[in-house]
Amino acid sequence: MRKFLFTLVALLGFTTSALADYTMIVPQKPGGGTSQWAQIVATEMEKYLDGEKVILKHIRGARDIPGFNKFHNELRFDDNVIMVSNGGNGISFLNEAVDYNYKDYDSIGLMNLNIITAVFGDHDPYGDTPTSFSGGGGKIPEGIAMTLLKCGNLPTVEAYISCFKEKVNWIKGMKGNERRLAFKRGELHGTRENPASFKKHVQPVIDKGQARLWFHHGILQPDGSHADDPNYPGIQMEKLFVELHGEKPDSILYDAYKLAKSFRDGLQKCLWINKGNPNRAKLIAALEKVASNADSIAIIEKKVGKYEWLMGDAGNAQVDTLMTFVTSDALKTLVQFNTEAFGIKAVYKEDLVK
Amino acid sequence: MLEAIAILFAGILYGLIIGIIPSAGASTGLIALFGFISYFAYDPYLGVIFLMAVVAASTTGDSFTAILLGIPGANSAAATMVDGFPLAQRGRAGYAISAAVTTSTVNGLIWGCLVFLLLPWYTNLIYIFGVPELWAFTLLALATVGFLSNQYWLRSILAIAFGIFIGMVGVNPDNNEARLGAQYWFYLEDGIQIMAVAAGLFAIPELTRGLFLKHSTADSKIREGELWAGIKASWDNRWLALRGGFIGAFIGLLPGLGGQMADWMAYGQAVAANPKEKFGNGNIKGVIGPEGANNAQKATSMITTVIFGIPGAKFAAILMSLFMYLNIELGTPDIADDTQLFTAMTFGFLGATVIVGLICMVLIKPISRLAAVPYKYYFPVLLALIIFTSMQYTGGWEDLAMLAIFSCIGFAMRHFKFSRPACLIGYILAEKVEGLTLQITGLYTIDTLVTRPIFMTLIAITIGVFLYSILRKGRIDYA
Repeated sequence: MRKFLFTLVALLGFTTSALADYTMIVPQKPGGGTSQWAQIVATEMEKYLDGEKVILKHIRGARDIPGFNKFHNELRFDDNVIMVSNGGNGISFLNEAVDYNYKDYDSIGLMNLNIITAVFGDHDPYGDTPTSFSGGGGKIPEGIAMTLLKCGNLPTVEAYISCFKEKVNWIKGMKGNERRLAFKRGELHGTRENPASFKKHVQPVIDKGQARLWFHHGILQPDGSHADDPNYPGIQMEKLFVELHGEKPDSILYDAYKLAKSFRDGLQKCLWINKGNPNRAKLIAALEKVASNADSIAIIEKKVGKYEWLMGDAGNAQVDTLMTFVTSDALKTLVQFNTEAFGIKAVYKEDLVK
Repeated sequence: MLEAIAILFAGILYGLIIGIIPSAGASTGLIALFGFISYFAYDPYLGVIFLMAVVAASTTGDSFTAILLGIPGANSAAATMVDGFPLAQRGRAGYAISAAVTTSTVNGLIWGCLVFLLLPWYTNLIYIFGVPELWAFTLLALATVGFLSNQYWLRSILAIAFGIFIGMVGVNPDNNEARLGAQYWFYLEDGIQIMAVAAGLFAIPELTRGLFLKHSTADSKIREGELWAGIKASWDNRWLALRGGFIGAFIGLLPGLGGQMADWMAYGQAVAANPKEKFGNGNIKGVIGPEGANNAQKATSMITTVIFGIPGAKFAAILMSLFMYLNIELGTPDIADDTQLFTAMTFGFLGATVIVGLICMVLIKPISRLAAVPYKYYFPVLLALIIFTSMQYTGGWEDLAMLAIFSCIGFAMRHFKFSRPACLIGYILAEKVEGLTLQITGLYTIDTLVTRPIFMTLIAITIGVFLYSILRKGRIDYA
């Protein structure tokens, strides 16, 4: 009997997926930020799918790439498979040898988010002391933004790289929670968070008078511009740049910056299916009902903050807008800055420009 | 609340069964949960209650096999076996089990209260410890597990080095480049997964060992009056039991140690405190001493694990990884404000300690009969669970290959007496060591470091541990 019960429990894990009508592929381990978001969305969507079930399948791997690659190469041809992607996938798409390509999929919906930064204590981010900031692949837009703010418009990428090395202390090897702790202790001069995490981790430090807002990237608009964030008005990077330097940002690094921040923040939380999937209308309708239900949206906003959804074709249009940022010069600059300033591996993908 | 209680009982049941299975114990039981823990993702605090209940229940439960079968359910009951099994052979199993459970429960409660009720206060330490202090503390953890825990300290250092090596396989955090084999095999880019490492190093070798262990089942009949006699023996030897608890608690506080070392030290103090008495032939003091240590050690091991993310013992290293699946990252500012986490841990550990103590006393007869079920019936189920768990990463052949590789390594390390706990802790701490080294070199200079008193103290202690280990004799031998 005991043996039977144990076997039953073990089999439960295998059979759950067979009972599902839709499978969301999450490219992370269970418990990760995107996984939690996907779990909430899946649970809420189920309410509007006439009894059909949505379960999560985690396909993990380095920088969340293997799961998305597997979707692209195999799983997308199954009409019941939905891909969940995040901003990190957007950055990897630009300068890593990945298989996936957003142009091959239809969007069900995506969330267009923003990242906010702060500085600790009385540190002057434009003064002589280099700003210590936790680095890593996910912080590329912040690293470039602070370089632009500190250095102004410069003629060459090499000049920016030199300025970055002089004015930014890019600290590697820090995970998210270590970064938060180091910032609260004042070991790091700067930090960055998504809106919900900012409210939880940084705002209390600001409220105590120990830190202050620095800049944010703004929210991507359909015409390709970036609007100010109503949650944190007046500190958008471009606006600060004009205040500091008396002119608009206009340089090759600025083009690379727009490219990187748009692909990361504009594709922060997304749901994809293969082009021509017959279930698309039903899934979009369910997600639209989730987005219009105050209770459902309150649960999601608690996780990521108050930002709008782009549903269905609006999500596809977002990808079209993003691709307008992909130019040969911007991509090459991004790769060079990644390699020489941040010291991280990056490849130039000529195919993206075609 | 009802759900929490149901989960608590589920954890107790699972932990108790795991505890009484020969050669299994808390670590194996926790490893087998990697395949199922994501079911708690929607309410992670229920998962915390379940895991803490498993830890507390398995620690108490493994006394049964040590006393009745002469083989410990896990390393932590090995010292109990020395005098517990002879008592059972003389028909006094109930007396020995009762004394063991009473002592273990009382110390678990005392140290559990001191640890879990005060954990929110202890977490203030994470704001006092900066990057340099954490770096030095991590070095101290590696030094203690390497130098103090094993007779063969050179082999321990090699085991740690190997653990750090496998922990560094994957992507270099400095430049995002794949390294140490990951550049040739994409499967390794996200690092070698803990399921394969823990299952291969510990679960498979221990489960297989259980198949070949020769043991004679002692008289498992529980006689009238033996239970009270056991409780009375614990009361009569209360100072011995409390000293055992203190030793266990102290060892648990030292990062990277724990487990068998605390038990043997507690057993040693019982022998030393009673020089005129014989031990090894069924002296109840030889049961009470180490049983005082094991639950206390489990409780205090959680302090460094929770506050700094530095596992206090082998089981804590696995527990820490399971918590990550629940999106609870120990040693971070998140936990300082997470009152629900502390409540769940306290409820799970203390609740399970009390309930499992009562269950063991009330149901001592059926549990004793369960302990006598031949191992061959447990083995295939546990093996299936471990294999299922190890395939949770990709589900492909690569997962099985990694399990096979690490099982071979686990067998070899056990045979040649290389410390497997040291290897596991090296593996767990590798990312931290590398990350903190990058941080400390980026943020500090020698001039600023020498002005930090806690940092300098920790470095001095680490050097002291190294010197002490060279001069000391009679280290404990376990692998």
